[in-house]
Amino acid sequence: MESTLDSKEMLNRFLADVERRAFQMAKFATRSRDDALDLVQEAMFQFVRRYSIRPREEWSVLFYRVLRSRIIDWYRRTFVRRKILTWLGRPEEEDSEDPLQRMPDTGNPNPSDHVLRQEKRGVLEKAIRALPLRQQQAFLLRAWEGMDLKQTAFIMKCSEGSVKTHYSRAVHTLRGLLEGIQT
Amino acid sequence: MNPKDPEKLFLESVQDLLNQGAEDLGSQTERRLEEFRGRALMSAQEKHLRFFPLRRWIMVGSFAMATLAAAGLFFWLNTSTESLPTGQIEDLEIITSQERLDFYQNLDFYRWLESKEIRNRQNGKEL
Repeated sequence: MESTLDSKEMLNRFLADVERRAFQMAKFATRSRDDALDLVQEAMFQFVRRYSIRPREEWSVLFYRVLRSRIIDWYRRTFVRRKILTWLGRPEEEDSEDPLQRMPDTGNPNPSDHVLRQEKRGVLEKAIRALPLRQQQAFLLRAWEGMDLKQTAFIMKCSEGSVKTHYSRAVHTLRGLLEGIQT
Repeated sequence: MNPKDPEKLFLESVQDLLNQGAEDLGSQTERRLEEFRGRALMSAQEKHLRFFPLRRWIMVGSFAMATLAAAGLFFWLNTSTESLPTGQIEDLEIITSQERLDFYQNLDFYRWLESKEIRNRQNGKEL
């Protein structure tokens, strides 16, 4: 009983640790807050059902693999839906920006610094959203999640060579778009 | 790697901004994520409590049925083409006949005798 509680607590901590970044990743891919929430929910359930019995050190890679599969499924579904809507002559509305992103944070002591950072963040997020999906995933998994080549290849279901290519192209594009972001 | 490597600096600032974005999701999103986590954990607990879920039984049953059907089909196809050679039919006749067993033991001799008589008759005709 105690071990079940321990494992439940471990699982809780793990999900609490990854859920925000997972949501952001899904949102970069879908450009929709609601769709991103749905994908994270599906990924959490599927991960818990299938992989919670696996060793703790494998959880991160397995969770992101599940999330990535859910994102790919979403892409396929959206592609088909858009095709049908286009065929019916009803173009789908573009998802609007998340209104929460525009809400001011009143708790910040230095408003000008905060605005600057928000601006930089907005530029970065827009640039990441504009990347092709595979480059976006390779970049976020390697640069943000700190996954190595092998782990990223496993998550993305491709070769390590492909990961290297996608990642370097993403870094090159982002550096070009975000000149001066580090200053 | 050199600590002043521009790519490293770039990646650090990107990580910093991304982390900031992940911390600043808004209370509504945070609540939803917490809610999903709670439900996922509940489903994990239910999974531990169920010994062998119905779906698993259905899968095992289907697999057993498919195996049985495949085995049945295999044996049926095999027996229908090759399992009744003529020798076995002859054996069946021997087993069910009312003749004495000595007759069948001497059958070769009778056949030889018959063929010899036929040959003699043919030679006689020729002569």
